[in-house]
Order: sequence, then C-alpha cells, then structure tokens
Amino acid sequence: MLTLENLSKHFGGVHAVDGVSLTIHEGEIFGLIGPNGSGKSTTVNLITGLYAPTTGTVTLDGYDLTAMAQHERTAMGVARTFQNIRLFGNLTVAQNLWVAQNGHEQRRAHFLPRWFKAGGEHSPDIDELLKFSRLHSKRDLPASALSFGEMRRLEMARALASNPRVLLLDEPAAGASLEDGQLLAERIRDVRDRGVTVLLIEHMMELVMGISDRIAVLNFGRKIAEGSPAEVQANSDVRAAYLGSKHKDEELIHA
Amino acid sequence: MIDFVQNTLDGLAIGSAYGLLALGFTLIFGVMRRLNMAFGPSILVGIFAGAWLHSHWSAGMIPVFLATLAGAVIASAYVERLSFAAIRGDAALASMASSFALWMQLEEAVARVFPQRTYAFPTFEGLPMLELGPLFLRPEYLVMFLTAAALVAGLQVILTRTLFGLHLRTLSDNREAARVSGVNVAQVALLTFLLAAAIGGVAGFLIAATDGQISTKLGMWATMKGLIAMVIGGLGSMRGALIGGLALGVVEAQAQWYLGASGREITTFALLFVALILLPVGLAGGAETGARAEAGRRL
Repeated sequence: MLTLENLSKHFGGVHAVDGVSLTIHEGEIFGLIGPNGSGKSTTVNLITGLYAPTTGTVTLDGYDLTAMAQHERTAMGVARTFQNIRLFGNLTVAQNLWVAQNGHEQRRAHFLPRWFKAGGEHSPDIDELLKFSRLHSKRDLPASALSFGEMRRLEMARALASNPRVLLLDEPAAGASLEDGQLLAERIRDVRDRGVTVLLIEHMMELVMGISDRIAVLNFGRKIAEGSPAEVQANSDVRAAYLGSKHKDEELIHA
Repeated sequence: MIDFVQNTLDGLAIGSAYGLLALGFTLIFGVMRRLNMAFGPSILVGIFAGAWLHSHWSAGMIPVFLATLAGAVIASAYVERLSFAAIRGDAALASMASSFALWMQLEEAVARVFPQRTYAFPTFEGLPMLELGPLFLRPEYLVMFLTAAALVAGLQVILTRTLFGLHLRTLSDNREAARVSGVNVAQVALLTFLLAAAIGGVAGFLIAATDGQISTKLGMWATMKGLIAMVIGGLGSMRGALIGGLALGVVEAQAQWYLGASGREITTFALLFVALILLPVGLAGGAETGARAEAGRRL
C-alpha cells in the first residue's frame, strides 16, 4: 500500500538516501533498520513530506504523495511520531488529540463554523484513544506535565487520532528500558490490530526482530537487504554493516 | 495624591489600547517567530480609510469603525503575503527587514493620498464626563478600557476553547508536530495575522477616536508603543503584552503630568531600558512557554 520508488535525497554531495525502493503491505509491521547515518530518518522525512526528494516517488494506495504538503499527506493517512518527542506542551492531553483528529478537516468548505466549534475534546473517539493509551486520568493536564513514558504514549495516540492508514514510528524505544520495550511491542501489535499499518524505525534489535513481519536494512542511503527477520539476520552484508568488518566497510564506502 | 490616582486611571485606559497593540505583535510573534515591523502602518491604512469615509460621506462611528478594521486587515494581508508567507523557514531577519520596507511603503502611500499634516477623525460625541468623587473619567477612556477588556476575554475564549485557537497555539508550541498532525500551517498563520490586524485595528480606532485627529505619524507611533509594551511585558507572552501595555500607559501618564511631553518620551525609553536590564524575560517573567526560549535564541 505504501510504495517508495527509486527514492533519493541528496544534501549537496551527501547522498543521504540513494535510490531506495520499498513496498509496505497493508496490515503488516515493517521494520526499517540500519546503522547511524544510514538514511532511516531521512526516509521517514521523505515519506511525511518534510523533505522533497531529489528523485523518486512516494505513493499510498496508488495516490502519488510526492508533491503534497505535510498536512495533506496527514489527511491522506500518513502519521508519524518523532525520535525526540514533539507534543503541544501548552495544550491539555485531550486537546493534543482533538487538534490531530481535526487537523485534516480544515480543507472543507465552510470551515469557519467548524473551527469555532468548542468542546470537541470530549468526543467518544478521543475518550477511546485516551483509554487505549492509558492516559484517561490525565486528560485535562497540560501535555508538558506528563512523565516521559506518558509523553511517548500521548505522541502515539496523537498520531492515531488523525486516523492514519500507515503509522511511522521513529525510534519509539529511544530512552526506554528493555522492559518498556516489551510493553512497547505489545502496543505496536495493538496498533496494527486497529487496522493501521506500521513502519517501525528502530535501533533496539530485540524489538524489531521480535515484532516485524518484514524488515529492510539501509546502509549509506542504500537498501542492502529486505526480507523476514530471519533472512535479514542471516544476510552477510547486514552483518558486515552492523559488526563493522573492516574489509566490508571499505567495500561499502567505495561501492 | 489625587493627581497621581487620576493619572493612573487615565494611564490604565490608554494602556489598555497599548496592550491591544502589544497583543497583536505577540500573536504574530508567537506563531511566526518574527516581528512584523509593518504592524503599525497597516493600522494606519485602516485609520485613514475610516477618516476618508468620515470626511467624504460624513459616515458615523460604526461605518468608520468597520472601514478602519477592513483597511487594517487588508493591509496586513498584503504584508503577510509579501513579507512572511513569501519568505520561508528560518529567514526571520529577512522577514523583519522586508516588513520594514513595507512599513515605509504603506506610510508613503498614505501620505501621498492624504497630503495634509492632520485629518479629522470622528469622536464619541455626546457622552457625559463621568465623575467618581474627586476623580474624572473621560467617556472615551471608559469605552477604550471596556472594549479592550471585552476583546481580551473574547480572544481568551478563542485561544482556549476553539479548534482555530488550538491550531494557532500548536504553531507556537511545535510547528513541525503541527504539520504532521494535519494542521494547515500556512492557512493558520495567515488567519492569525489577520486576527492580530483586527485587534490592532480596534486599538487604532479607539486611539484615533479619542484624539479626534490623525496624522501619518500614527503608524510608527503604533509600532513603537506595541513593541515597547511587548518587550516590557515579555516577548511572546499574552499576559505580558497586556501587563506591559498597562504599565506603559500608567508610566506615560505620570511622566506627562509631572515632567511634561518631552519628559514623557524620555521616561518611556528609560522604562524600556530598565525593563530589559532588570527583567530580561519581562514583567510576566518566565510564566510561559517555549516562545520565550525560542525568542532568546533567535534575537
């Protein structure tokens, strides 16, 4: 459903992403891994539209997203979380969700009455999301008053509030302990069971290997492997990229 | 002592209009992270539109008010398109410099169309002077104060209770997160700009209707008063803008009474320096958001 075709992003002479093609199927958890600086975050930013690609296209369910602005892609069903959490700290927990739930409906005609509608943060959808994220008791607190773990849950809930087809999780386990990682794995499965396709960008190998249906590996902006967790783990290029065999590294740099 | 209280009362009324000007600046600054130097001159366009309607058609207060508002909003839309929407991203200084150019342009254009030094503006006629024991309150001042209070209350409702208000606040909180949450950042930014212009237009109308005459100096005057009040109150804080405006109004009224007109100007700028040195985060001190930290980094 989400297809990247020959996607590249060059910053001056740096080929941050270089000719990556990927197809993510409906309903799967797809892991995107790679060493630091391999182009994972740039790929996410190309999908969400922060960057315009140097070459290539991004399509969702056959619709070309490549020329769309970020908020338009959100309306099309692309949502994300950030590696460093980005919440609306001055808004309450429920308001964070309300904003995301209604962001993409501005384009309707007669948007003004809708915009001036008050109290929408008490809708049943938002209640359900708050319960799903175990944030119900905090709904009227400012988001900046939450604990780190709660902030992570709220950020994921906010992404879900925009009713996405595909959710991009950018290192959701960053700063979390191993036990938190276990809980996170369950949460990601729960998200998938709500009918949302998940693209997981992650460093924590146990997490990615444990829950991904398929995995792609990036190194120096190129895709070096794709397949099931077992296939990827057995791949010699991947081992070289991660374990840093000197010989292999040089080969990759010069490739 | 009576003089002092009387000055304070007058100062609070004028200060409430300053507070509105500062609020307009703050709204734009909070959402755009840049100063709109052409804010005052946009209001100037509105005031002269009102004055024109008054002198050519003998229009009453309500049409003049609406023309002032419309002129300020249209001029602001022009400024937003040219100096803000057209200059993207981190080029905050470019926006400020270009809004400065538009300031000159708008002021010059108004001066071309209205070559006299001053023009008449309709006043609130027939309202009785209010007496509170030994104190007097000009009815224009009461109108000014009450209108400002009503606007601030309305703005508070918009910012905390409506979807548009929340969208506006997401922009000052975290622009990137707003985008991926589906907020149409460009559209919300434009509407915020126009909202600020409308608030500034109301302030300009109240000030012009109190003085009864206007000149093209009003544009620069409004930018200066709004900026000073905003800085005294604390950059990026709504509450600070109001407190700063009221403080500026009271200090000016006292200085005018005790030191005369030139003493008033000197005192105003002295107040600005003292505020910057003693209270670099403003009177509302540290009460608000990332806007302040952001402001510190950018300026």
